[in-house]
Amino acid sequence: MSLALERRLVGGGALLCLLALWEYASGRLVDPMFLSSPTRIYAAGVDLVVTGEIWPDLIVSAQSFIWGYLWAVAVSIPLGLVIGWNRRAQYMIQPFIDIMNAVPRITFLPILVLWFGIGIWSKIAVVFLGAVIPITIATLSGVRTNEARFIRVARSFGASPLKLFTSIILPGTVPFIFTGLKYGAGRALLGVVVGELYASTAGIGHMIADAGNMMQTDVVFVGVLMFTIAGLIINAILDRLERHFERWRPQEAAR
Amino acid sequence: MSSLRHWLERNERWLLGAIMGAAFLLFWEGLARGWWADALQPLIGQGAEKLRIRPIFLSSPSAIAVEAWRMYVVTGEIWPHLGVSAAEVVFGLGGAVLIGIPFGLISGRIRLLSHAVEPFMTALNATPQVAFIPLIILWMGTGYGTRVFIIFLLCLIPIFMASHAAVKTVDVRLLKVAASFGASELLLFRTIILPGSIPFLLAGLRLAIGRAMIGIVVGELYGSAIGIGLMINKAGSTFQTASLFVGVLTIVIAGLALTEIVRRIERRVEIWRPEAQQAVNS
Repeated sequence: MSLALERRLVGGGALLCLLALWEYASGRLVDPMFLSSPTRIYAAGVDLVVTGEIWPDLIVSAQSFIWGYLWAVAVSIPLGLVIGWNRRAQYMIQPFIDIMNAVPRITFLPILVLWFGIGIWSKIAVVFLGAVIPITIATLSGVRTNEARFIRVARSFGASPLKLFTSIILPGTVPFIFTGLKYGAGRALLGVVVGELYASTAGIGHMIADAGNMMQTDVVFVGVLMFTIAGLIINAILDRLERHFERWRPQEAAR
Repeated sequence: MSSLRHWLERNERWLLGAIMGAAFLLFWEGLARGWWADALQPLIGQGAEKLRIRPIFLSSPSAIAVEAWRMYVVTGEIWPHLGVSAAEVVFGLGGAVLIGIPFGLISGRIRLLSHAVEPFMTALNATPQVAFIPLIILWMGTGYGTRVFIIFLLCLIPIFMASHAAVKTVDVRLLKVAASFGASELLLFRTIILPGSIPFLLAGLRLAIGRAMIGIVVGELYGSAIGIGLMINKAGSTFQTASLFVGVLTIVIAGLALTEIVRRIERRVEIWRPEAQQAVNS
C-alpha cells in the first residue's frame, strides 16, 4: 500500500469515525443542545441556505474580508518592496513594523470600533491591520534575501535600477510574498471573526454569536464550518496563484 | 566636521528610527492638542479644523502617559486586572504546553496516528479558532474557567502543530544509527527526538504567546468581572480612550517581554547547533 493511499485512508477513516461517534453520542450520552450532531448541523446548514437566511451575513463577512485584504495587499507589497530596497526607508519604517508585528493587532479592536463604529468599516480596518503587517514583512525579507550575485552580475552589465527591479528583485520576491499572503489571509479571517463577535450588526460572526445566545448549537457549528471552508478555499486559491506565478522557475534539481 | 559626519553615518540606523518615532509622537500630540489646526488656520482657513481631533477619539501620548502613571502608581487600579489576566495566561498556556507537546511528539512519531490526526489539524488550522467561543460559553458558562480554556485552546494548536512537525524533521539517519545499535524507543526519544525538536517547540511557544494575548482580549469580552481585556473593553465603551491605550500597551509590552524571553532561550539553546536557526526561520 502506497504511503499516499494509506494517508488518505487513515485520515478519512479517522474523520468518519469521529463523525459516527459524535452522531451516536448526541442524544444518548450528551444533550444535543450542547453538542448538536453532524446530521443536525447538516440540516441546519441546508435550511439556512434554502431559506436564504445566510446570504446577507455571508455577503457582509465576505465584503469585510475582501476589502480589508485587498487594501492590505495594495499597501503592503509596495511598502515591503520599498523598505527592502532602500536602506534609509528601512531604518525609518521598520521599527514601527516590528513593534506592530509583536502585537496581536486584534487588541486594537476596541480602538477601531471607537473610530469606525460597529458597522463594516471597523471590520475592514481590523482585517487590514491583521493582514498588512505579515505581508509587508514577508515582502521586505524577500527583497533582502535576493541573490547578491545576480544583482552584481546585472549591475556590471549595466542594468538600470528599473530593469534590476523588474527582472531580478521582483521575481525573487514572489515566493516570499505568497508566504506572507497566506499567513495574512489567516490573520484577516481572524479579524473578521473577532470583529463580528465583538461588535457588529451582521456577518457570519454575528450569526455565530446570536446562535450561541439562543442555544442553537447547530447554527453555531454551521457558522464555524463556513469559516473553516473559507480558510481552506482561500489557501487553495493562493496555492494555485503561486503555482501560476512560479511556473517559469526551473526545478530545484535542474539548477 | 568630518568626524561628525562619520558619527552620523555610523549611527544612522537608530538615529533615523528615533527621529521617526519622535516625529510620530509629536504629530499625534499635535493632532490632539490642535497644534496643526492652529498652525494651518491662516493658510487654509476653516478646513484646518479637521486636524483638531477630540481627545476621546485619539487621546495623546502625554495623556496616555499621565493615565498610565495614575493607573499603575497613584491608584494602582490596574494591578488586580493584570494579576487575574496573568494567571489566566499561566494556566492556559501552561496547560497547552503540558498537553500539546507530549501529544504532538507522540502523534508525530507514530505514522498511522499522524495520518489520522492530519485532516483535523488542517481543518483546525484553517479555522479561526475564536469562532468556537460562543460554543465554549454555551458549554462552560462565562466564568474564570472559560477564559482559561479559551487561552488554552488558542495556544494548544500552534504548540501541538509545532511538536508534530518537529518530529518529522529529525534526521532519519541518526534514528537509524541509534536503532541499529539497539537503542530503545524511550532512549531515542530522550536523546535524539526531543533535543532535535526543541527549536520547533520554542517557535511554537512563541506563536502561542501571541495567541494567548489574543485570548486575553477576546476571552474577556464575555462576562468577566476583572482582567485587562475587560478593562480595555470597558474603557472603549465608556470612551476613556487614554485608559484603553494604557490597557492595549500593557498587553503589547507583556507580549513583547514574553516573546523576548523565549527568543533568549532559543538563542541559548541553539548555540550548539548552527543549522537549526535557519530551519526555524525559513
